[in-house]
Order: sequence, then C-alpha cells, then structure tokens
Amino acid sequence: MRYLRLWRLFALTELQFELAYRVNFVLGFVEMFLVVGTSIAAVLVLFSHTTALNGWSLDQMLVLLGVYYLIQGVVNLVLTPSFERLMEHVRLGTLDFLLLKPVNAQFLVSTRHLRVVRGMDLLLGVAVLLVGLSRMDDQLGLGAAFLFVLTLGLGLVAVYAMLLALVTLSFWFVRVENLLAIFWAFTDAGRFPVDIYPGWLRLTLSTVVPIGIAVTAPAEAVVGSLTVGTFALLAAGTAVAFGFAAWFWRRGLRSYTGASA
Amino acid sequence: MIRAYRALFVAGIQQAAQYRIQYTLYVLFSVIRPIIFLAAWAAVATGQGGRVGDFTAEDFAGYYIALTIVIHLTTAWNSLEFELEVRQGRLSPKLLRPLHPLHYSVVENIIWKVTTLPPLVAVLALIAWTFGARFATTPLHLVLFVPSIVLAAALRFLAGWCVASLAFWFTRIQTANTLFDRTAFIFAGSIAPISLLPPILQTAAYVMPFGYMLFVPAEILRGGVTASVALLLIGGQVLWLAATFALLRVVWRAGVRTYSSVGA
Repeated sequence: MRYLRLWRLFALTELQFELAYRVNFVLGFVEMFLVVGTSIAAVLVLFSHTTALNGWSLDQMLVLLGVYYLIQGVVNLVLTPSFERLMEHVRLGTLDFLLLKPVNAQFLVSTRHLRVVRGMDLLLGVAVLLVGLSRMDDQLGLGAAFLFVLTLGLGLVAVYAMLLALVTLSFWFVRVENLLAIFWAFTDAGRFPVDIYPGWLRLTLSTVVPIGIAVTAPAEAVVGSLTVGTFALLAAGTAVAFGFAAWFWRRGLRSYTGASA
Repeated sequence: MIRAYRALFVAGIQQAAQYRIQYTLYVLFSVIRPIIFLAAWAAVATGQGGRVGDFTAEDFAGYYIALTIVIHLTTAWNSLEFELEVRQGRLSPKLLRPLHPLHYSVVENIIWKVTTLPPLVAVLALIAWTFGARFATTPLHLVLFVPSIVLAAALRFLAGWCVASLAFWFTRIQTANTLFDRTAFIFAGSIAPISLLPPILQTAAYVMPFGYMLFVPAEILRGGVTASVALLLIGGQVLWLAATFALLRVVWRAGVRTYSSVGA
C-alpha cells in the first residue's frame, strides 16, 4: 500500500515536470500515433496477400500487436527512464542519495522516473487490443481473460527481470548502453508471433531476450491457442529470471563503492 | 580539397578504431528489422502454397538480404546530430572553418560503412543459409547496381539533410524525423517489396522518393528487374536526386541566414 502511494507521488511529480513543455508533450503523442499507425499498416499489407500468418488471422494479429505495444508502453513509461537514471547515478556516484532513503532500493530505482508521453504506447496498445478483440467471432470467456492477465503479468515480470539484470551490470562496466541496445533491437521482433522465426532466433526471443514469448503468450491466451507447455515455460522462466535478477541486483549493490570512495 | 579529405580520413579511421566492439554491435542490430519482415513474408509465402506474387520464400530472403546491404551502404545519420549541433551552438566553430560542414559528415559516413562491412557480411551469410536465399543476379545487374547504389546513398544523405535543416527554424525536429522515417518505413520497401504493396500505395511509392533510396538498388542487386526496367528506375533516382539537391541548396542558404547560435 505504501509503495502504491509512493508510486502515485512519483507519477504526479513527473507529470508536472513534463507538462511544463507542452508542445513537446503533444508532439510526443503525434510521434506515437505515427509509429503505431504505420505498424498496423505494415500488418495490413501482409494480410492483403493472405488470410493467416502461420495460423494467426488478422484479428488475432491485432490482438498480438496490441499486447506488443502494451508491454512496450510499460517498459517505455517506467522502466527505461528509471533505469537510464540509475546508470547515470552509478556512474556519477549519486546513487548514495537513493540508497539512504527509507524504502526498498530495488523498488526505488525501478519506478522512480516516468516518461508520461510514452504512456501513449500503452493506451494505443489497449486500443488496438480492443479492436482486435471486438472483431473476433467468439466471445472472450472468463477463463481466457484470467489467463490473459496472468500471462501478461508474467511476461512483464520476465522483461523487467532481464532489464534489471542488464542494468545491474553497470556496477562493474561503464558502458552498459550497448547491452541495452541489444535488448531494443530484439524488442522489435516481438511484433510478430514468435513461431514465425527460424530456430535460433525463436530460442533467443523466448529465453535470453524474453520479449517474444512475453508478447505471444498473452495473445495466445486470448486466441485460445495457449498450450500448457508455453505457459509452463513462461511461468518457470519468469520465476527463475526474477529470482536471479533480484539476487544479482543485491550482489551488484554490494560492490557499489559510492561517490567519494 | 583532396588534402583536406585525406587528413579527415586519417583522423576518422583512428577514431573509429577506438570503438570497434560498439561498431560491430550496431551492425548486428541493423540486421534484425529486415529479418523480422523476412520471417513474416516467408511464413506468408509458405502458407500460400509457396509464393506471393512473383516471390517465393527464397526470393524474399534474397530481397531482404539485398535490402540490408543497401540500407547499410546508404545509411546517413549525421542529420540526426545536426539538431543538437544547432541547439547547443556547436555548429558555430564548424561554420568558421573553410570546409562546408557537409564534408565532415561525408567522411564520417564513409568510414563507418567500410569498417563495419565485414561483420555485416558474416551475419548476412548466416541468414542467407538459414532461409536458403536465392538471387537472380547477372553481371549486368551488378554493373547497374553501382550507379544505383551511389545515387541512392546520395539521395538518402541529402534528403536527411533537408529534414535536418528544419532545425534552423525549430529547436526540436524529432517529430519531423519520425514522420520521415515512418513514411520511408511504408514506402521504401522495408515492410514489403514495393511490387507487393496494394495498388494505391504502390503508385504512391513509385512517385515518392523513398523507394529510390532502398527498393530500387535492392531489386537490382537481387536481379528482380530486367535491365530496361532497371535503367528506368535509375532515371527516377537521377530525377529525385536533382530535385533534392536543388531543395537543399535553397533551404540551407535560407537556414544559415536564420541561424543564431544559442548563447551568441
């Protein structure tokens, strides 16, 4: 509860901060519309030549794209800005100030900063998702909806764990941006169902960079093609990844030497 | 001029040698987006009984590999840095030097492409093997590819500068850049070979400059067009290059006159 209240406070201050530059804010929205709009156009072009992409119909693809932007939205809204600041703090030694605060340090560095403009990804993602859902023939059952929320949550945690582990490396290495760039490059691949990729790429997208499975599994839950195997892989992978990332973070923190040390 | 260029090249290569790993990584990333659409089209082709239009899955592989090479050889990012240079006033010392700022960009650009070509080719070979890429390239195609890629690189470079020149008037041009990138994303041949776009978009793509930056040289390199069609498309490249050059001259002159560096 206390953490939720804190997070609300973070969000409000960051919103005030961003609203000071109003034109910037509006232009950011325009850019997101362009990006999402053209992505949908690309999918429509693909489907002008086919009715199914590896078994995925157009409506199901829209659901998948919606999930993709939803996850991207969360990452861009909270995680990227916070982690960027974290790396800066480590480099400058100003992390001391955060560590002294009476809250869980991992919570603080993961959620302290927001880029409200990028929340637009999230809204557009939900919109695309709803359009896809409304065009599908059969109604979404309660069980499917529950599975969807569950897999989406698991996927988000998996992506979070990977990012946290990557960023934690900045305690030892100066230039972690390069490693993050790898993550961004692979992120792009999440816009299509993970099963269209050749073996080695599919494996990468479900394990090392879990964006592929994080996007595909919730979409499959809605569509009704989620297998027990995929679900088990996602659940186990997320648990392991989160455990590892949290441990790694504490390990990294211990070797942090601070500003004047 | 030649002496100036030689000096710039030497300095540039020394700089590039410092960041070898970073350079290699960036190249590997640039490959991922084409593979994404290659995988999607290959899936469509397989689902449609082997082909989409004139393309089989192997043709798609050939096309997207050619496209990746073309993207690499024609990349121009200097215009993105230009916004910062104007906003922070870093352009001022460059304007005082006897060389046009454009020349620094040209050198930087060429060095990057040459030094990163080997890792790119290695990755593309792996992809060609994974997807069983097929090329219909003849020696004539290769001959035609040379002028086509040079024209495309020049066109992309100058067009980028036209967009960047907006920074003289507006301090934040990122939206303009996004608009440019996303229009190119649809019409340059990234999401699909232009010949597979729906009719209206296809006409638009042949009228607009974007296809002449990527699709045209890629199709020639893959051997997807006959020599006469290739010549016609190269003619289109020449026209767009001339138009862009004229536009940039006008915009640049007007822009430098408006420029008052920050802090001056």
